[in-house]
Amino acid sequence: MPRSIDPPRDLWPQIEAQLGAAGAAAPRRRTAPLRWLAAAAMVGALAVGVWIGRDLMPLPGAAAEVAQQPPANPAGANPGGAAVNAAFVSDPRYARQRAELMGSVQAQLNAMPAPARAKVAASLSAIEAAKKDLESALGKDPSNALLQELLINTYQDEMRVLTDVHEAGNAGRGI
Amino acid sequence: MAPSKGQMQAQRQESRVDWEGALVQRAVAGDTRAFERLYREHSGRVYGLCLRMTKDAQLAEDCTQDTFINAWKALPNFETRSSLGTWLHRIAVNVSLGRRRKATPVLEAQGEDEEGELGGFALETPVEVAELEEAIGNLPDGARDALVLHALYGYSHEEAAQMLGIAPGTCKAQLHRARKLLRERLKLEVN
Repeated sequence: MPRSIDPPRDLWPQIEAQLGAAGAAAPRRRTAPLRWLAAAAMVGALAVGVWIGRDLMPLPGAAAEVAQQPPANPAGANPGGAAVNAAFVSDPRYARQRAELMGSVQAQLNAMPAPARAKVAASLSAIEAAKKDLESALGKDPSNALLQELLINTYQDEMRVLTDVHEAGNAGRGI
Repeated sequence: MAPSKGQMQAQRQESRVDWEGALVQRAVAGDTRAFERLYREHSGRVYGLCLRMTKDAQLAEDCTQDTFINAWKALPNFETRSSLGTWLHRIAVNVSLGRRRKATPVLEAQGEDEEGELGGFALETPVEVAELEEAIGNLPDGARDALVLHALYGYSHEEAAQMLGIAPGTCKAQLHRARKLLRERLKLEVN
């Protein structure tokens, strides 16, 4: 007896119509791996830590070594995620603002005491690592909406940290 | 040295799994064309199972459609290490049972004896496929389900029982009952 029996008519058109109507977004509801959520949580916690820390730290003292910063164009950091990056960071206003912030933050970091500088460096490093991880994951699963959102949030977190450092430096409060 | 028949079969199976895994990944990313190819590959076996479980061509078409729509929705949860065919069959069995319950809400009595030989399915006299299909179609639902999944689609008692949501012992009993009824009915027809 045959296990396979072809349907008397092609059922695909009706199935496809229902996929488009009701479930087209269903595959995008994929649960993101916990590590991405953990990375995002860590970035968020560090950003909050920097935010709180800027009010507690003493005024910046002597110049010291500067934390390593990511390149001005983060899209180049991960070829696999370049296409994904391009969607978020190709806006020239973003690139310009980020470059300006990086330039001013660098000088402010130099002027910070070592503990504050280490804290900011750790935050930016964690953000950079999270960005790379998310870009890599998106390279494998480009349509994952949650990963995309996490990546956007991570870019926003980076900008927030840079802005906070910049503002704190301008206000003369330190981080 | 030329590969043995078994090796070639294993290679074919492996490449098929790889090919299928790639299609699954594309479908998960929202590629309906990839999902269509999976449908083309599996629709015959899914429809065959639905038809045998529902005994109704129109209902089997509906079940087949529902199976693939449910599969599309659940595809992100599919573990690519397992067999897509088996996964689709599980969905098809669930859909068919659900549809059948709606159509005939009276539950069939279960839990017969487990005695008797429960191995391969064999008949004493040759019969035409159509006769056999008809005889299987006339079996009580529970007995037919067990027979179709175990004897025709090759699932173990445990797998068939899990798909049907019954105990393995009950599945064995249903299979025994199916074989007994089938023998009686086919003998009567031959005589």
